[in-house]
Amino acid sequence: MKITQFFAVGALTLLLAAPLRAAENWVRYVAQPGGGQVKVEGTSTLHDWSVESKLIGGYVELDPAFNLEKPQPGKVNARVAVLIPVRQLRSDNTGMDTIMYETLKEKDHRRIEYRLTEMTLKEAPKSADAPLLFDAKGELAVAGVTNKIQMPVTMTRVAPDKLKFAGTVSVKMTSFEMKPPTKLGVFSTGDEVKLTFDWLTAKREETAK
Amino acid sequence: MSKAETEFNRRDFLRGGSFATLMTMLGGVELITRTSARAADLETLVPFQVNCAVIGLGAWGREIIATLARLKTAQLTAICDTYPASVKRASNSAPKAKGVDDYRRILDDKEVKAVIVATPTHLHREIVVAALQAGKHVYCEAPFANTIDDARVIAKAARDARKQAFQAGLQTRSDPQRHFLLDFIRAGAYGKPIKARAQWHKKQSWRFTSPNPDRERDLNWRLDKATSIGLAGEIGIHQVDAASWFLNSRPVSVTGFGSLIHWKDGRDVADTVETVFEFPGGVNLIYECTIANSFDADYEMFYGTDAAIMVRGPKAWMFKEVDSPLLGWEVYARKDIFYKENGIALIANATKLANLTEKATDESAYTSTPLYFALESFLQNVNTVSSAVEDFSATFDASDKAALNKYLADLKLTPAAGYAEGYAATVMAIKANEAVVKGGKITLQNDWFELG
Repeated sequence: MKITQFFAVGALTLLLAAPLRAAENWVRYVAQPGGGQVKVEGTSTLHDWSVESKLIGGYVELDPAFNLEKPQPGKVNARVAVLIPVRQLRSDNTGMDTIMYETLKEKDHRRIEYRLTEMTLKEAPKSADAPLLFDAKGELAVAGVTNKIQMPVTMTRVAPDKLKFAGTVSVKMTSFEMKPPTKLGVFSTGDEVKLTFDWLTAKREETAK
Repeated sequence: MSKAETEFNRRDFLRGGSFATLMTMLGGVELITRTSARAADLETLVPFQVNCAVIGLGAWGREIIATLARLKTAQLTAICDTYPASVKRASNSAPKAKGVDDYRRILDDKEVKAVIVATPTHLHREIVVAALQAGKHVYCEAPFANTIDDARVIAKAARDARKQAFQAGLQTRSDPQRHFLLDFIRAGAYGKPIKARAQWHKKQSWRFTSPNPDRERDLNWRLDKATSIGLAGEIGIHQVDAASWFLNSRPVSVTGFGSLIHWKDGRDVADTVETVFEFPGGVNLIYECTIANSFDADYEMFYGTDAAIMVRGPKAWMFKEVDSPLLGWEVYARKDIFYKENGIALIANATKLANLTEKATDESAYTSTPLYFALESFLQNVNTVSSAVEDFSATFDASDKAALNKYLADLKLTPAAGYAEGYAATVMAIKANEAVVKGGKITLQNDWFELG
C-alpha cells in the first residue's frame, strides 16, 4: 500500500468514526422491564377494541450538552430507537389477536419500530420536577411500511437515573398499507387507531456505540 | 292431478329442496357473502403451530392424537410407547409423526417443544420431571400420580419451570361451557348451595387384552391396587375437581365404600364405589361410580336453595323452586321435561334470549369435547409463554430473572388447570381411593395439600 493511500484510508476511517466518537460521550438510557406499557385502541362496528403490551425495548441517547437540570427550549440532539414485539400485543380475545397479527403481517414483520429524527423542547419547564414537553418527529415502521410521524412526548425524570417517556399518536391503518379487518355482514374496523405509550428507561454506564 | 297428489308433491318439494333452490327456480340468485382476501378469517388462519409429541399410546393416548389432528395449532411430530404394536397402531392416525419406543429420544429432539404424557398414572413422575428438565412444555394427564409424594414432585417441578407451560389433564377446567356455568353459579342463580351429587355409570370391564402376557399385565395396571387408585381416583378425579371448583372450596374429609361385585376376574380393585366429600359449611358431595351398570351415565348435580343445576357433558339445565326469584330470561328459554320436572336449558347466551331475536336452540354452543378445549388451551398457552420468553429475552437483559418471572406471572393465559389444581385434585383422588379401600372416613389434612 502506498503511503498516500494509507493516509487516505486513515482519513476516511476518522471521518466515518467522527459521529461515533462524538456519541461516545452521550448519555445512554436503556428500556427497563416492568416500567412501560403500550396500548393500541380502535373502533369497529361491533365495539371498540384495544390491545396492550408491557414489552417496549430500545434506548435513548442524549447529547451531554442537553442539561437535564436546566433544559433550554429548542432542538435537542438525541437518538431514540423503540422496538415493540407484535406478538406481545394482546387483548382478552385470542381469536381477535390472531386477526390483529395477520393484519400487522406479524410473520414477516415481528416488531413495530420507531426511530427519532428530530426532537424539540417546546418550553422550559415551570418547575424542576415538571415533565418536559417535546415535539418529536420520527419514523414509525409497522407491517413493513415506514411513515413519518409527529407527536408530543413528555419526559419525566422519575429518579436521578431514570427517564419516563409518554405520548399519544393517532395513525391510519391504510397509511401503513394495512386493510382494516372486516367481515362482511359481521363487523368492520375503523381505519384510525390511537397509540398510547408509557416507557421507562434507565441510565446505562456503558457509552453509546 | 288430484289435490292429494299436488299436496304431496308440494310438501315433498319443500321437504327435499332448500330455500336457495326454491329461489333459483323462481329466478332468484342466491347471494353468498364474499369475504375479502384480507379479511382475516379465523377458520383459515393458522396463528402458530406447536411441535408436540404424545407419550403413552393406549386408548386415551390415541384419543389425544385424534384430537390433536383436529387442532390446526398442533403439529404432531413424534409419538412414543414402549410397546411397538401400540406405536404402529397409533401411527395410522399420525402418519407424519416419528414413532419411538423410548421417551428420552423425544426429550432429546430439539424440534419437539411440548409433550403430552398419557402413560399409566404411576409412570408419570419420571417422564414429566425429565421432560420439564429438558425444557419441554408439559401436559400431564390426571391424576398426576398414585402417591402423594410422586404428585408433589411433579407439581414442584412444574412450579419451578417458570419458562414453560404446564397443564394438568383436568379437561373441564378449559371447557367454555363450564366457564359459562361457573359465572352463572358464582352469580348465585341457584341460591345458597346445600349439596352436590355426581355419578359415572358405565358397564365395562376396564380390562384390556393382548396376545403378549407381559403387555396384558402392563395394560391392566388399573386393575391392580399396587398401581391403581381405582374408580374414585382415576375417574372420580375429574368430577370431584369440577364440583370443588364450582363449590369454590376444598373438601375437609372423604368417606368411602367400595365393592367388587361383578368383575371378579382376579382384580383387586372395586368395580363399584360410593364416596362422600364433606365441604365447609355442611355441604356434602356424594360421588358414585360403577363399571357394573350404565343407567343414567354420568352427570353432576348442584342443589341450591333456589334451584338445582344438572350438568351433563356439554349441556346443563336448571330446575327452579316455586319460591325462587324470577330471573326473567328463563321465561323464554328452552325447557326440557324430565319426568315431572321442567328443566330450563342453560346454554351459552341463554340469558340473552329475552330480546327474542334469537330462537331457543337445542344445541350447545360448544360442540367439541372437553379434551379438545383442554388441548387447544395448552397449545395456546405454550405459544403465549414461549413467545413471551423469546421476546423478553430479545428486548431486555435476559439475565434479569426476577423481571422475566414478573412478566411471565402477569401473562393472561387461556383457562386451564395448572400444577396447583392438578396437585390438589390428585391428593383428593388418592385419599378418596384410600377411603374406599379402608371403607371409612379420612380427614383431609392441610399439609397434604402443601407443596413445600
